[in-house]
This record gives sequence, C-alpha cells and structure tokens, in this order.
Amino acid sequence: MTNLSLAELAGYMRQLGEGALVTLELFLTSFALAFAFGVLIGIATLSRSRIVHAVWRVYASIFMGVPSLLVIFLTFYGGSAMLGAVLGEFGARIDISPFAAGVIAFTVVYAAYIAELVRGAIENLPKGQFEGARALAIPPAIMWGKVILPQVMRLALPGLVNVWSFMLKETPLVSLAGLQDLVAAAKIAAGATKEPFIFFVATALVFIAFSALSFRLAGRLETRLDRGLRREATGHPPARATA
Amino acid sequence: MTMQAPVPAAAGEPGRLAITISGLVKHYGSHRALGGIDLEVRRGERIVICGPSGSGKSTLIRCINALERHDGGSIVVNGIRLTADEGTVQDIRQEVGMVFQHFNLFPHLTAIENCMLAPQLNRGLTKARAEKLAMHYLERVHLTDQARKYPSRLSGGQQQRVAIARALCMEPRILLFDEPTSALDPEMVNEVLGVMEELAASGVTMLCVTHEMGFARRVADRCVFMDHGEIVESGDAASFFEAPESQRLRDFLAQILR
Amino acid sequence: MNGLPIDPALAWGSLPALFDGLKVTVILTALPLLLGLALAFPICFARMSSRRWLALLAEAFVTFFRGAPLLILLYLVYYGLGQIEALREGPFWILFGSPFGCAIVALSLNHAAYMVEVLRGSLLAVPHGIVEASEALGITRRNIFIWVKMPLAIRYGLKAYQNEVVSFIKGTAIVSVVTITDLTAVANSIFEQTYDPFTPILCAAAFYWALVNLIRIGFGLWGRWLNRHNAEGVAADVLVPGRAAALRRTSDLGQVTP
Repeated sequence: MTNLSLAELAGYMRQLGEGALVTLELFLTSFALAFAFGVLIGIATLSRSRIVHAVWRVYASIFMGVPSLLVIFLTFYGGSAMLGAVLGEFGARIDISPFAAGVIAFTVVYAAYIAELVRGAIENLPKGQFEGARALAIPPAIMWGKVILPQVMRLALPGLVNVWSFMLKETPLVSLAGLQDLVAAAKIAAGATKEPFIFFVATALVFIAFSALSFRLAGRLETRLDRGLRREATGHPPARATA
Repeated sequence: MTMQAPVPAAAGEPGRLAITISGLVKHYGSHRALGGIDLEVRRGERIVICGPSGSGKSTLIRCINALERHDGGSIVVNGIRLTADEGTVQDIRQEVGMVFQHFNLFPHLTAIENCMLAPQLNRGLTKARAEKLAMHYLERVHLTDQARKYPSRLSGGQQQRVAIARALCMEPRILLFDEPTSALDPEMVNEVLGVMEELAASGVTMLCVTHEMGFARRVADRCVFMDHGEIVESGDAASFFEAPESQRLRDFLAQILR
Repeated sequence: MNGLPIDPALAWGSLPALFDGLKVTVILTALPLLLGLALAFPICFARMSSRRWLALLAEAFVTFFRGAPLLILLYLVYYGLGQIEALREGPFWILFGSPFGCAIVALSLNHAAYMVEVLRGSLLAVPHGIVEASEALGITRRNIFIWVKMPLAIRYGLKAYQNEVVSFIKGTAIVSVVTITDLTAVANSIFEQTYDPFTPILCAAAFYWALVNLIRIGFGLWGRWLNRHNAEGVAADVLVPGRAAALRRTSDLGQVTP
C-alpha cells in the first residue's frame, strides 16, 4: 500500500461498501424470487398432466444446461425486445437495467434448481403423510402449508444451502452486464490504485466470510427444524393415530 | 506348485507353536478391552473362542494380524514377533488369513477376481496362474459355478464362502474367523460351517470366534471362554461343555444353549 | 421482430465462428479439468493427513479457492499476479503473462478446490471393513489405494464429479473478460456487430447445452459400466442413497464389537 493515502483509501472503501450492498440486494432479491417460484414450480410438476411434465423437462434441461452468464446477457440485451413482443409498443420502450436483468436471469435459472430439489423432497416423503391428511379431510391449502411443506423444507435444506452458496458465487457475473456491484467497485479501485492484488483478495474474502456466516446460520436452522420434527414426532402422531 | 492345501501342521516339528500371546493388553481410550491375555496355539490346533459381546474376543483375534494395535504384552506368529514395523506387519499378514462377520468382499470385483487380487499384488502372480489358484480354492468352497458373478448377485452364504476362498488363496498357515456366521440368515449358516469343518479336517491352524456351539463340539480341539477382556476358562470341548468350572461360563452356556 | 427471434441466415453464417469459440471453450475446459484433478490428489491427501498444520493448510486452500467467485479469481490471477515483481521477472511469466495462461491457472485452482472435496467425500465413503479386509490379506497401503479404494471411490463420487464438471463448463463462460474468444465471447462480438440480441446468444446457448448434455450422456454410460456389478436396472442416481447406506454401515463396523 505504498502510494495510497488514507483519504483515498476511505473513498474506495465507501465505494466497495456501496457495491457490496448492491451485490447483497441483487442476491437476496434473486434468491427470494427463485425460492418462491421454485417451490411453486416444484409442486406444479407433481401434476399428472403430460404437458406440464414435458414443459418442466424442457425448462429444466435448458436452464440447467446453459451458463447463467448467457441468460443474463440474453435478458439484458434482449429484454426490451421481449417485452416489446409481449406488451407492444409500450413494452419496447422499457429499458431493462443490469440489476433487473440479473434478478430475472437468476430467478429463471435457479428456480429450476430449487424446483428440482423440492420435487425430490416431496417424492421422498412417506406416502402416509398425504393419505393421513386426506383421511382427516384437511383442506389442501392447509395440508400443503402445515403438513407437507415444512417437512419438504427440512429434507431440501442441505440442497438449498448448496444453491444459496452457488448462486452467491455467480452474482458477480452481473457486473459484466454493467452492474456497479462489489466486484465492479473492486475492479475500479484496483485499476486506479494499481493495487489489484489487495482489492481482489479482500473482495474474495468478503464472499467467503458471507458464505461462512450463512453456513453457520443454516446449520442452526437445521437443528431447529430437526428439533421441531422431534417434538412433533413425540407429541402429535400418537394423538393422530387414535383420532 | 504353489497350489496346495494350506500347509498342514508340519509333521517334522510337532511341538512348534503357531501363535504365542503373552500379557496382551489393549485399551480403547480409558476402556480396557484386553487385560493381559496369555494364549498359546499349537500348529494345526483348532480353537473356538466364545464369550458375551464386549468380552474382547474379536479384539483378541484382530490384534493377531494387527488390525488393532496392542498396547502391551507380546504376540509371536510363526516365530515372527509383531511390532509396529510396517514390514513385520506385512510378513505376519501373509501368514494369517482372516474371515469377517460381514464378508467384506470387494463389490467391484467378481468372485474369482476377489480371490485373485491379493496373490497378484502380493506375490506377483500372472493373471493366468492367479486364476488357476483362485479356481482351485473356489472349488474347495464349492463355488466354481459362481466364479464370474459379482458379490451382489450371491447369497450371504455364498459371499462368505467366497471370502473364505479369498483368504485361502494367500495360502496362510493360520486362519482367523471373526463371527463368520452371525450375519447370515439361519438357512445359510450350515453351508458355511460345512466348509469350515472341511477346512479344519485339512489341518490348518484355526482361531474361530463363534457362538455356534455345535460346530465347537465337532471341531474344536480347545474352547476358550472370555469375559471382560480376560480368558476365564479354557479346555477341551468335552469338558468345556459338560463340566464348566466357572459360574460365568455356566451362565453364558445356559443363555446360549437355551 | 418477425415473431421468430432467430435470424436463420445470421445463425448459419455465424456457425464457423461459433465452432471456433466452442473449440476454445473445450480446450479451456479440458486442460483445467486435467490439471485441477492432478492438483486435487496431493491436496486431498494433505487435507486428510494426520499432521495438523498440513491439513489446515489444505483446508485453507479449499476454503479460498472454492469460496471465492470464479470471476474474482480470474481478475486476481490476471491483474493481481502481475504486481508481484518476482513473478514478472521469473520464468513463469510466459504463463501468467498471457490471458490464456491466467485463465488456465484460475480455472485449475478453482476446479482443484472443488475436486478435493469430491475426492475426500468419495474416499471417506469407502466402507472401512473392505479396507480392513484388504489389509488382512497383506496388501500394501499403496496397492489398497490403487486397487480397492480408488475404484470404489470413483463409483461413489461419480455423480458429484459429473455435477462439478457440468457446472465447471458453464463457469468457463467468463473467460471472455480477459480477452479470450471462447464461445460466449464469439456470441458477444456477433451481437456487437449486428445488434441482434437473440440469434448469437441463443446459438451459443445451444452449443453449451449440447456440450453439457454430451458430457451427461458420457457420464451416464460410464456410471452404467462401472455399476455393472450391481443388480440390473440400478440407475446412477441410486448411487447417492447407496453411499449414505454404505457410510452408515461403515460407522457400525468401525465400532469394534469385542
């Protein structure tokens, strides 16, 4: 850090901080949307309809077989044109920001992965769970919300943590579409100060620290969900069995 | 020819010992698994070791081929004193074959390949010679027709017989059996015991941890009863079963023969 | 837009350039896959070593090169290493001085870090009893690794390896940022010339899709061949529960029942 004044450093740190916030916002928004759509799609694919199945297979195959970067470019460059095709003249005038392109691309791509996880978890549930709920004439909405999905989430949690950390590591791709995120800020700072090594290592460490933090939280969440299950296992089922 | 029955007790040296164990001690952490075992095994002798679970009988035979390292005392196998030295351990393992409760066959190899692996790797046998050797011992366990099958396609009894053939292929002078029939379905126990009895008749030295008392009566020269890491009682099969001295052995036999 | 987002004439005309890009992508995949795998073995051994400092060092490597986004690794190697005087003067500058060399280095380190974990998981999944059986046969540690542990580890880890290779291929799409004209870069440059946002990117996507699925098919065939020892009709995906079961079985066996 030979030719870097303290004031300059503070300036770059502020930029990096702002970039980090953009990255975090992008990541959390994308994950939340991908999660919501993923769960819905995962449930929808359980339908016996052949068409639904075929559409799911095509969708999953495409977005699991193509780099996220291309999907980001496609939404960024082609987004306005696509909106134009759907919404007409009005849509064509909407410009898609890099941030929006990133959110759309990650949502579309990772919803496929999350749907696959949810599908797998539902299929691994004991059949008795559905039959029991049906036998008790529990309305479908409550059955899904209170009986099935909590168990599905517990089964899918390790996979979800994987998707979480994988997606986190892909968020810097949006900087290639021009988003002023953490990596873009680091690149600017690295170029201006001629200290690329320090800035890129520091950026990498931010990602690693965030991952480590979320792994720890996930571990805690897992024990919590397990505990809930255990309590349920000792408490309710006997009562249900006699009911 | 290397292809012989496991070397019978050498007629010329009748008094020689196959295994000498003295003062053997083994700890798992603070738990004492073996507390000073003394045991001498003559060449060609067939010994059955029994005792309640946790009595140290498996640990004892696993110490003999250094699958467990002992903490005190000494083990001498065919004149070789077992030390921590890698070369010595390899030497002893060449002399001692072992059959496990859970067979532990190599799942990615066929029955015959299971038998061929060690002779090829340890003795540098060509594929053809190893195959001939393996076939010879598969015949002894009556499995020549299953030689090309993978373990997953064989029944438990067949898998255990392959495991016996695999051990025999190294032509060991001593065979250790660690509860060879306890993981088997009842209807398969006899086919394995039958093979073991045939082996016993061939004169190989055998140490067998088992609860099959019928087998012990028919085959054992000597029975050893262990409890809490110690040898409580030992004697020839007849007196062992008919006139047990210690109360502990009487209790154990009463439970097992009930 | 004429309804169809793809301009067939442009797509046809771009094919040669796209194929050139595909070639670069394939090279940029194949080389780091080989180098990364070669690097993963020693690091995995270090990670599993009983020497604490060595294990910690390996773990730090894995944490950094797995946890850092690939784009940052690429920037770090491309822009960051040039800062280091010794490197700039040294003989390795041929490697680090070219974008291609930097991409290979960054991709290899990243892949190696992932492969350490894949390898470690697969090796730990090998049932302990099978390793013990090999030891009891007197097979040396090196031979056990080559002939027993690795063949089984490959079977247990194949699915994880496939996933890693597939996501790695997709990850290579970023190398265009250091001026390498891979498949993505070709698509980008066609877009910049024609301002057609769909045709070049969709064509490149189709190429990636085909490459990825070719790899998937290849792994599927490999897995079926490796698992020929399992009962018929066992698909490769069944391997994962199989591994969990194997792990559980191992832990049972690990506790010696003396």
